[in-house]
Amino acid sequence: MTQIEALQWIAKVFEASPDQLTPDTHRDNVPAWDSLGVLTLMASLDSDLGIVLTDDDVQAVKTVGDILDVIRRNGKLT
Amino acid sequence: MRFILVDTIHELDPGKRIKASKTLPANEELFRDHFPGFSVVPGVLLTEMMAQAAGRCLDAEGTHPGRAMLGKINGASFREWVKPDQEIMLHATITQNRPAFATADCFAEVVGKKVCSAELFFVFAPHEQFASDYQDEILNAYWKIHPDMQPKRTR
Repeated sequence: MTQIEALQWIAKVFEASPDQLTPDTHRDNVPAWDSLGVLTLMASLDSDLGIVLTDDDVQAVKTVGDILDVIRRNGKLT
Repeated sequence: MRFILVDTIHELDPGKRIKASKTLPANEELFRDHFPGFSVVPGVLLTEMMAQAAGRCLDAEGTHPGRAMLGKINGASFREWVKPDQEIMLHATITQNRPAFATADCFAEVVGKKVCSAELFFVFAPHEQFASDYQDEILNAYWKIHPDMQPKRTR
């Protein structure tokens, strides 16, 4: 997927508008990125993209850009 | 009305799938209001029935750090009216089963016809938060009939 598609996918996961998200957006500024949101992200990465996050990955993910990096590292971002 | 919305477990593969049933009798007080002259089982209760069935499927496995609790409802749809006294068959297939969360594809049917479906997301509440003598009477009834199916870690 392209970065724009990835941002749209992330917005869907967090029930946000895609135009509210940029790579610099911090999780504190995404209302649905709470503890349930973290688990939803893990489940969606697994079911939609086949990416299984480790606990270390989860702790490191603090911005939208961090999620894009996870997707990129797993070869799903063009 | 007690809030046990599964009467009987018919088939159970712990952590994988479950088939259960529930019937709400016509004398339940809720039908006085939902709705006068047109009694139907509320969609929110159908969703809870599916959640309780799927939750028991997860709890039966005994591998999570707590009891399965509904965290999110994705894409629920209600296709047919369900009337009092109709036996509702509840089906759940666990699609993701991780230590911190699980997801389940669920549907309910009446007389072989699908009446609703939903994808449910579960988190786990630590066992310590519940009463120390809390027992799941529906699961226990199933284990009593099928003792050889009960995982050793849950005995």
